[in-house]
Amino acid sequence: MKTKNIFYLSVMALTLTFTSCKKDDPKSDPTIPPTGSGYDNGVFIINQGAYTGGTGTISYYNRSTGSISNDIFYAKNNFPLGNIAQSMELYNGKGYIVVNNAGKIEVVDGSSFASSGTITGLTYPRFFLGIDNSKAYVTEWGASGVAGAVKVINLSNNTVSSTITTGKGAETMVKSGNFVYVTCSGGFDTDSVVTVINSNTDAVVATINVGANPKYIKADNNGKIWVLCYGQWDAAFSYLIKTGSLVRIDVATNMVDLTLPFSSIYSQPANLVINSAKSTLYYCYDSQVYSQSTTSASLDATMLINRNFYGLGIDPTNNYFFGADAGDYTSDGWVLRYTPTGTLVDSVKVGIIPGDFFFK
Amino acid sequence: MKLNKTYLFGLLVLQAGGVSAQDTIPSIKQLKEVEIHSSRLYNFTSGNKIEKLDSNLLNRYSTNNLADLLSNESQVFVKSYGQGSLATSSFRGAGANHTAVLWNNFNIEGPMSGMIDLSLIPVNFINDVTLQYGGAGALWGTGAVGGSILLNNSSAYNKGISIQTNTSYGSFSDKQQQASVEFSKRKFASSLKVFNHEAKNDFLYSNIAKYGKPLEKQFNAELKKYGFLQENYFQINAKQQINTRFWYQFNDRNIPPSMTQNISVSNQKDETIRLTSEWQRKAGKINLFLRAAYFDEYLRFTDSLIQIDSRSKTKTSIVEAEGRLHFTKYDLFNLGFNNTYREADSKEFSNTPHENRTAVFASYTIHTLTNSWNAVLSVRQELIKGRHLPFTSSLGTEGKILKRFSIKANIAQHFRLPTFNDLYYHGQGGKGNPDLKPESGWCEEVGIVHKYKFRKTEWDLGATVFNRNIDNWIVWIPLTPMIWAPSNVRNVWSRGVEYKMKLNYSIKKLNIQFSSMYNYIRSTVEKSALANDASVGKFLMYVPIQNAQGSVLIAYKGTSFAYVQTYTGYRFTTSDNTGYLKPYTIGNVNFSQTFVLTDIKIKLFVQLNNIWNEKYQVLSYQAMPMMNYQLGLALYFNQPNINLKKQ
Repeated sequence: MKTKNIFYLSVMALTLTFTSCKKDDPKSDPTIPPTGSGYDNGVFIINQGAYTGGTGTISYYNRSTGSISNDIFYAKNNFPLGNIAQSMELYNGKGYIVVNNAGKIEVVDGSSFASSGTITGLTYPRFFLGIDNSKAYVTEWGASGVAGAVKVINLSNNTVSSTITTGKGAETMVKSGNFVYVTCSGGFDTDSVVTVINSNTDAVVATINVGANPKYIKADNNGKIWVLCYGQWDAAFSYLIKTGSLVRIDVATNMVDLTLPFSSIYSQPANLVINSAKSTLYYCYDSQVYSQSTTSASLDATMLINRNFYGLGIDPTNNYFFGADAGDYTSDGWVLRYTPTGTLVDSVKVGIIPGDFFFK
Repeated sequence: MKLNKTYLFGLLVLQAGGVSAQDTIPSIKQLKEVEIHSSRLYNFTSGNKIEKLDSNLLNRYSTNNLADLLSNESQVFVKSYGQGSLATSSFRGAGANHTAVLWNNFNIEGPMSGMIDLSLIPVNFINDVTLQYGGAGALWGTGAVGGSILLNNSSAYNKGISIQTNTSYGSFSDKQQQASVEFSKRKFASSLKVFNHEAKNDFLYSNIAKYGKPLEKQFNAELKKYGFLQENYFQINAKQQINTRFWYQFNDRNIPPSMTQNISVSNQKDETIRLTSEWQRKAGKINLFLRAAYFDEYLRFTDSLIQIDSRSKTKTSIVEAEGRLHFTKYDLFNLGFNNTYREADSKEFSNTPHENRTAVFASYTIHTLTNSWNAVLSVRQELIKGRHLPFTSSLGTEGKILKRFSIKANIAQHFRLPTFNDLYYHGQGGKGNPDLKPESGWCEEVGIVHKYKFRKTEWDLGATVFNRNIDNWIVWIPLTPMIWAPSNVRNVWSRGVEYKMKLNYSIKKLNIQFSSMYNYIRSTVEKSALANDASVGKFLMYVPIQNAQGSVLIAYKGTSFAYVQTYTGYRFTTSDNTGYLKPYTIGNVNFSQTFVLTDIKIKLFVQLNNIWNEKYQVLSYQAMPMMNYQLGLALYFNQPNINLKKQ
């Protein structure tokens, strides 16, 4: 008799064990749910996502309401972007989201974010630049992270149509007239050139030597192009054997006409942005944000914000700064907004590792 | 004469590194009250929850690795990156390097990462797997924070020749061959175990990272492993024994991509040599143990896409001496000394860093004659020149109350030394911090066990409540986006309850067993040295709050059937707990039939894994296989030493 009781008891304990597990459903933080349409007056924040096996996400900041919606791509399309979302551009009404580690570009409708295709055949793609109605350029680090190239994309069928070989680690691009200037950041190695491409013929027309590992590039209102170079570490990554530098290229001659080296052998400059008038540059250096007039012949060293950012953006509608704080890189990051004079306005919680912005 | 008897009584059958003395001294059987074992586990733990995985169980998992065994049959959470991929353990909500893994008393965790890949340990190389829950820094030193995995080998004298082979074929081109030959005389035993394992692991899974969640085949997941373990045991004389072991293993694995990645050409090759020897002497009141080990590990990780070709070679030598002494028949004192020298050579380290660590440890236990009550006090101090290491102690007691209950209680300190990577790494993306302090803290537990036997039914129920703090938890944080470095950042508090039940019913040749386990553990970050740390007050990542296991075993004559179901609850995937993975339930079936021919035993077995076709993720976007199988055939042959049989 007793045996029987024990048996029932144990079966009960077993079922209890399994049924009791159904509770304790964790709740996620309250955010404004993605609307799935009308992403027309705001800022897209590109969150890289957790590095190991994670997925990138896109957050949308609505300028008129000040609200944020996170992970708008998944919400609309029900599948994730992929590992490490690098950058995004809106071009001809479509959004092109470059997903680095997944080797692809996800194409979406610029207003609803509905998926409309995937561009594959890319190896470590970085940034997108629209050229004309049927053509775009995408930089990539290529095989082994050193075979730098610009892939020419046929926008009518979302395929790669040809490859333009550049220096190692092709990174950011800027268009001046018919010419596209590409920084060659070295990728997983090191390089120090800007490759110039004629966008009509897709031919490389010049290779300009700049500082070590050029990463960011902006055009000013004066016919000049500014390149921010990272500098180069020693083999043990303990100090910079070549410090970072800000380099100016004259597009008329495709020659460097000004080089402004940074002094620190431990801190690299990063995140070059330019205001809407294209007269003032901003960058991060030594855990601060500095401004630099495009007419100065030396580093202004004017500190604007005393904080380091993983990514930096500037809203062309009002010149407000958007600073990305990636926290511990395994939790949701924050975006902080500052006035043009560097006063903190507010902050919003976004996805994991916010790294880049697109201002619509 | 009387004195001698007293000695014998308390004194202990030397289990020479596991060699059972029962064959040579049959009369010792009635004196089994207190045996002295080579492993400190048996005489010097008290009040801890201990889970011993018996030989039947190990036999059932003979073609699996330790990660498979623990994820199905224990309360340890196994974090696996996929079929045949890296798998680490989490005891009681602690991290992967908060487990001490000891093989025949030697810590086998590599100095670089401070952990061991459980998927690389074949179950059939180990005779005894024991899990000790809770911190035990004073007993095992660094890493014994959440718990310890104790892997032991043993052999018996005078068994003649026995041969065993095991061949299996399974899903995803999984092919395994194993063989073992054991040979023993009265005073000598020798054994050789070999294995070879190949698999493609090209399983189908639903790729949830793609539009429409298409079924895709996993790629770049091939593996090849082989190795051998050779052991010798000598009975030098009535008082002394010595053993030697040599474990060689080579593993070549491709590392599959995550679902969000689409591409992977990574590969990892490991080559390990482990040499150990132990000498034991029992004479009167004093027992001496002297052990030495040398480990050589080579690891090469390549990924041509990100230009990584990382090679490292580590060497470890360990010398350990222990002396055990009785003052009365109610106690046992142990004094030990350990010296561990480790060095690592890799281009990610600027020099060849090394560490010479000396430990002095002692334990004292008092117990009743039949060991129905005992208590143990242990202390340990480790020393490294120029570094401050914490002193650790533990105090535990356990014993019977009433007729069918026993209670346990333990309080202990624990610590974990920073790994070589934490201290000395110097390469792309990061740099080590030589000023790191060890992680350390306290843990406490109280348990109750109810054992009861009624006619054909045996009932065994246990429940444990624990509490643990880990201070100075090491976290890698970015100094700049390009350079990360470790630092003593967080304080983590874990607490929980564990419950376990086993019911055994046997009548004649039929045996039925039910068992269930359940854990509820909360592991949260309490404090952080980082400003605005979003993890404060939140659960640790990838630590399930709940998990459970239930199993049914039916054996009748040579037929046996087992069904095991495990449940793993929600796990957070971000440190601020905004992302999480859904729970999953896995059901596995094992069926075997044994035939006995005159000299040979033949066992046919089938293992069906994930029979409910659960689509699940242990880690975010890491593909796991759906239903898969393994078919096998095992042969056993034993020829006793006929001329000695009658003795």
